[in-house]
Amino acid sequence: MAVIRDVMPAFELFQPATIDDTMRLLGQYREDAWVMAGGLDTFDWLKDRIKRPKVVVDLSQVKELSGIREAGGGLEIGATTTLTEVVRHPIVREKYSILSTGAEAAASPQIRNQGTIGGNVSQDTRCWYYRAGWPCYRAGGNTCFADTPTAINREHAILGADRCVAVNPSDSAPALIALDAKFVVRTPKGERVVDAEDYFIGPGTDITRMNILRPGDLLTAIRLPADWAGTKFYFEKVRDRNVWDFPLMNVASAMVITDGKIERIRLALNAAAARPLRLAAVEDAVRGKEPNAATGEMAGRLAVQGARALRFNAYKIPLMRNLVKRAIGGVEKAAWA
Amino acid sequence: MGLIEWATSPWGREVPIHIAFGLLWVSAIGGLLFLVVHAIYVGYWAKSAEAHAGEAVGASSGIAARVPERVARHSFGARLFHAVMALAMFALLFTAFLPKVGVRFAWVTYHWIAGVVLTISVIYHLFHATFWLDFWSIWPDRVDIEDAARRFRRAVGQAAPAPRKFAKYPLENKLYHLAILCAGLAVIGTGVLMMSRVRTPFLARDPYLFGFSDTTWGWMYVLHGLTGIALVALIIAHVYFALRPEKLFITNSMIFGSISREKYLEHHDPERWPVGERAPEAGAAGSKSREVPA
Amino acid sequence: MSHRFPQVIVTFRQLNGGGSDPIAIDTRQRMGVYPSKSICGGLPMADHDIANPGTSAPLLVSRRDVIKGVIAAGAVSSASYLFRASTVWAQTSAPGAVERLVTLTVNGQQRRVDVMKQETLQTTLRYKLGLTGTKLGCDRSECGACTVLIDDVPHYSCSILTHTVRGKNIVTIEGLASADGKLHPVQQGVIDEQGFQCAFCMSGFVMAAVGYLKTNPNPTRAELAHGISGNLCRCQDYDKILNAMMRGAENLRRANRV
Repeated sequence: MAVIRDVMPAFELFQPATIDDTMRLLGQYREDAWVMAGGLDTFDWLKDRIKRPKVVVDLSQVKELSGIREAGGGLEIGATTTLTEVVRHPIVREKYSILSTGAEAAASPQIRNQGTIGGNVSQDTRCWYYRAGWPCYRAGGNTCFADTPTAINREHAILGADRCVAVNPSDSAPALIALDAKFVVRTPKGERVVDAEDYFIGPGTDITRMNILRPGDLLTAIRLPADWAGTKFYFEKVRDRNVWDFPLMNVASAMVITDGKIERIRLALNAAAARPLRLAAVEDAVRGKEPNAATGEMAGRLAVQGARALRFNAYKIPLMRNLVKRAIGGVEKAAWA
Repeated sequence: MGLIEWATSPWGREVPIHIAFGLLWVSAIGGLLFLVVHAIYVGYWAKSAEAHAGEAVGASSGIAARVPERVARHSFGARLFHAVMALAMFALLFTAFLPKVGVRFAWVTYHWIAGVVLTISVIYHLFHATFWLDFWSIWPDRVDIEDAARRFRRAVGQAAPAPRKFAKYPLENKLYHLAILCAGLAVIGTGVLMMSRVRTPFLARDPYLFGFSDTTWGWMYVLHGLTGIALVALIIAHVYFALRPEKLFITNSMIFGSISREKYLEHHDPERWPVGERAPEAGAAGSKSREVPA
Repeated sequence: MSHRFPQVIVTFRQLNGGGSDPIAIDTRQRMGVYPSKSICGGLPMADHDIANPGTSAPLLVSRRDVIKGVIAAGAVSSASYLFRASTVWAQTSAPGAVERLVTLTVNGQQRRVDVMKQETLQTTLRYKLGLTGTKLGCDRSECGACTVLIDDVPHYSCSILTHTVRGKNIVTIEGLASADGKLHPVQQGVIDEQGFQCAFCMSGFVMAAVGYLKTNPNPTRAELAHGISGNLCRCQDYDKILNAMMRGAENLRRANRV
């Protein structure tokens, strides 16, 4: 609930122009520093006085963090490239259309014009108990207010819950996992390149963070390898409204089909757990099979194994089953669509 | 850095959340410091005093003849309990504190499972020790306290009668057991209640289950944390003593169950820990034997 | 944002707000009473007063008075209460440190303005430059009422720091009409179709549409709906709004052909 409380509390603002200067500032202020890209997640926290960083490091002036370059047969997308730029980029549209579809499904036009791909994958969860500033596990406390007999938890997790039942809300993340993207992270010790699915961490590993970035770290770029360019893609996002809504669940798959059989596949799904899930077991199970409704049915049943509903989100289990089914078996356009 | 971390509850109250986990280092360093100080004390300072103490009371040959070559010290049940408890305790400490020192993994499931194992083993021990073992043998008695005073006076150079030999357990052992008992029961009691806040097969997850206030829960977490880190120091000390050369025979007995006749006669008072043929009667009169002055 | 808050939080807010009706508080704030308080009372306003609206007495100031007051009081003094010491002082030599005095290009004019670090563009436009055509609706990038163009691209001005847009070309609703007073074709479309009811959201919709039409001058109705889907109308007048915007697009194409 947005309560307007005028301007944000004061913070010190830095707008460095280079990655090196940014790293220096992050190294200097460590836990006190808040890295801000588009700012659309940031401002909610600051306006609501839930998080009060002393220092905000605004990446908007770091030119080298922005833009899409061809590299190594694939693409390298700077972390502060806006979602609109990603959506409109001709090579993304041509070879990695799953990413443009996923990125375009996020939020509203104005937000996509300002929100960045790095920010989209690194954004915090939407759990309102957490966002309201309650002292939950994710906020360093000792209670999960979203998993109680009286909790309102329609949007929460069915998988991977560990005390915290929040979900990751990113729409581009499953698309990036399906494309086998690599995330380039600058740390004080140097550069690390991690697989997309390893960028995200669940509450069991660290209950207060959604990704591997620690104070002083910076996501600089996302690399799309050539391996999955132009393969058969499927992306679907289910949400309450047609625009400007976070996913109830989304799914992304990339498949290479040879002689009518699935030769290679990557399948990812988000808003089911605190991290985007790569469904490796499902990938293994459908490899070598025909991408039809029967295979999809089997894949869907396999995908929801171990899923556990909370008070109000039992619908997510059949939803996940059906999304996985569609991602593999495809879907016929409904007559009314 | 405060000792306790606080937060504002949904109802606007300042409530404790948990201990500041920096205290872990205080406990670990405290435990190690104790170890170093004790090792230095034993190595350079306490040797002469020990030598005197050893001569104090000699065992009669009659008693010695009664004592079997291997003196049973811990029954199989007791040793099994000790091993299970130790494994559970290490599992609990590592799952609790490794994530705090930077080794990140999904620890909660392992932690509560180890907690359940510990709880069951401790319940077993409570019954076993109360009804099958010599219940009073582990509690400090008057002789222990008198002897402790004598040792202290001798250690600081005052005149005092020679302390007697120990009963089945030395005083340090008894005090350690007492400390572990307090810390263990506190950590188990809070831990069992805290299990209602995570997913287990036993209870539907419900932070409001017992009707405790946020403050009560907060103090429960604080107590769980404090006893948890206290156990770090206690276990450092325990492992240290178990590995000290002069105590290795006790460690051995916790594994194999018995000590040798020589060690028995050297360290233990057959009056206070009777073994051999007459053991049953002496054991039955155990409470009386403690009244016997030296 | 769009995940709806459960009722329980509303109740909690009511408790926390000292018994005041949260909706009434919201309305006062929407009407701009809070920023005006400092003008009327001339007193600096502490942060916690803003954070706990239930503790401050409601001020019965009409919206018109407020707007006049803001403009009359001028840019700097109207925001005087906002100047608080930051918790960390930057070394001016530090890389990326920002200056307080910045030059903004707003509607083609160079405007010198004293800007706080934490100030959003919406605050600068409305309360320092007097450009109150840009509305503040939700202040959470949800409603779109504050939409302005930054280098021809629609942005929510409530959710971008003024410091971020230094050196960029900002256009607000006030900057659409030409110098001779001739309305922008999209504005004309609104008049032609009488597209809005209360029209609080109008300036945001017009800016979003103008920005979208720069990328797609000849949209279908569905495309235009998608293009301005970042704006909300509380009157639920979307059908007429789309009529107006489609007419505006047509006006714009005609104007560009001439």
